[in-house]
Amino acid sequence: MNDQQWNTLVSAVRGEAQRPVPTAFIIDSPWLPKWAGHSILDYFTDERIFLDDNLKAIRTFPDTMFLPGFWSEYGMCTEPSAFGSVCMWGEDEFPFAKKVLLSPTEVDRLEKPNVRKHGLLPFTVKRLQHLQPEIEAAGHKIRFAVARGPLNIASFLMGTPEFLEAIKTHPEQMHQLLNLVTDFLVEWIAYQRELFPSIDGIFLLDDIVGFVSRRDCEKFAVPYLQRAFDADVTVKFFHNDAPSKASAPLLESTGINLLNFGIQHTLTDMRTWTNNRITLLGNLPPRDVLAEGTPADVKRTTTEMLNAVGDWSRLIVSCGGGMPPNAPTENIQALIDTVAEVTR
Amino acid sequence: MFDLSALRTAVIEGDVSASTVAARQALDNGVLPLNLIAEGIGPAMAEVGRLFEEDEYFVPELLMAARATKEIFLILRPLLAQSGAKPAAHVVIGTVQGDLHDIGKNLVAAMLEGGGFEVTDLGVDVPPEKFIAALQQKPTQIVGLSALLTTTMPAMRSTIEAFRAAGVREQIKIMVGGAPVTEKFAESIGADAYSESAAASVGLARRLVGAA
Repeated sequence: MNDQQWNTLVSAVRGEAQRPVPTAFIIDSPWLPKWAGHSILDYFTDERIFLDDNLKAIRTFPDTMFLPGFWSEYGMCTEPSAFGSVCMWGEDEFPFAKKVLLSPTEVDRLEKPNVRKHGLLPFTVKRLQHLQPEIEAAGHKIRFAVARGPLNIASFLMGTPEFLEAIKTHPEQMHQLLNLVTDFLVEWIAYQRELFPSIDGIFLLDDIVGFVSRRDCEKFAVPYLQRAFDADVTVKFFHNDAPSKASAPLLESTGINLLNFGIQHTLTDMRTWTNNRITLLGNLPPRDVLAEGTPADVKRTTTEMLNAVGDWSRLIVSCGGGMPPNAPTENIQALIDTVAEVTR
Repeated sequence: MFDLSALRTAVIEGDVSASTVAARQALDNGVLPLNLIAEGIGPAMAEVGRLFEEDEYFVPELLMAARATKEIFLILRPLLAQSGAKPAAHVVIGTVQGDLHDIGKNLVAAMLEGGGFEVTDLGVDVPPEKFIAALQQKPTQIVGLSALLTTTMPAMRSTIEAFRAAGVREQIKIMVGGAPVTEKFAESIGADAYSESAAASVGLARRLVGAA
């Protein structure tokens, strides 16, 4: 993100009026490499392709923001790899991390990873360090420390159904696991900030938060999110595109001030549930409209969404989730143009 | 008539040990296995489904209720076999080739089992030929295909095409589900039914085999 985009983002997070309302999209490997004409595996393994694809997106859509911007990631494998997960790769497939714990009682044998040495973490930061001069020469800075959230990582280490069942059957061990994962996350975020002083935001992604009840969210998500977000940064950005009704009222207490959520809820509902204290990033249907609709569909749906929400403060228009695979250029541009036209 | 409310409560609350205790008590008091399913497990799982639809239950609660029913079925299955009672239908279920996600598939499998279906779970990343082999191994009324990723949804279509090529498509009903799957997509690939949630899958499967 360049300075102007960052200032726009910060202003929106602070609730300052924006005309036109800004737009932003989470972009990463599910969309970017294919859109730019590369395979997912080439995107992960070739720094030049990674940089060129990100710059191509930025230059194609100069009037929007891409979050977190130059996201150095290896799909769902980045953090689990540091815990010893076997990672599986295909030329054009999303990588997958195999679980490392076969039962809740195995948590004892899990060790906290060294964020400087383990798994794909060194590769993640080295890629950015190598490209940092070119990123900055293009007028951009690395703004976010990024990681999967504590429940998301725990669910990869155990398997999602197993983790969700274990919070009922083995709550002590799951707190032990979440504590370990969060200790790691705090260090991983601090390490990214240490290496890139331009970082002034934390971005965590955790859909598993959406699968639990409010009571379980209070017990198993909020304390750990609070710790993970407990840093002196301006933007605390959270993504959960699973259902959010139970968790939304609790998010402000974690420090989160920017939220990307799914299409199960309207902007108005989410605004009510978050007490209008969190800036919302959403929530055009990513697959059915942005990826598979026509530009006219995008225009109509975006206009309806903006009219329905009425109050455009604390709002950044995006899709309900990350940029979906196969979202075409003309649809993305239609969203950007429609928001500019309707909210100018 | 023996009161099955303790069993129903135990299943709804996902209390595995109380569920099996209640099931044994019911059987010891002369409740027939089929009645235990129809009047105990079935209504309990329907209530679990209702609580899920109304945002009172979430995935962990669903998983625990499904686990409780699974444990009861470990007790009931030999008795059902002895008595010659048949399950509602045999369902073969799996996550399609290229997709390694199992949460939705596991939930549906557990809910179906709790709903009185016999379920063969082929796991994740299942190639069409593995589905076909399972169909040839045992009479099957329903195949459930799951996918979590938009990139693996096309494997649902190719699996159904493989069923046609192998001449088994007409023998079965196909239900599909998963986060990116829609009713429209299900129709477009030639599936018979789409389930929006695990909780809804039991009623859907019953309708597919005419057991509703």
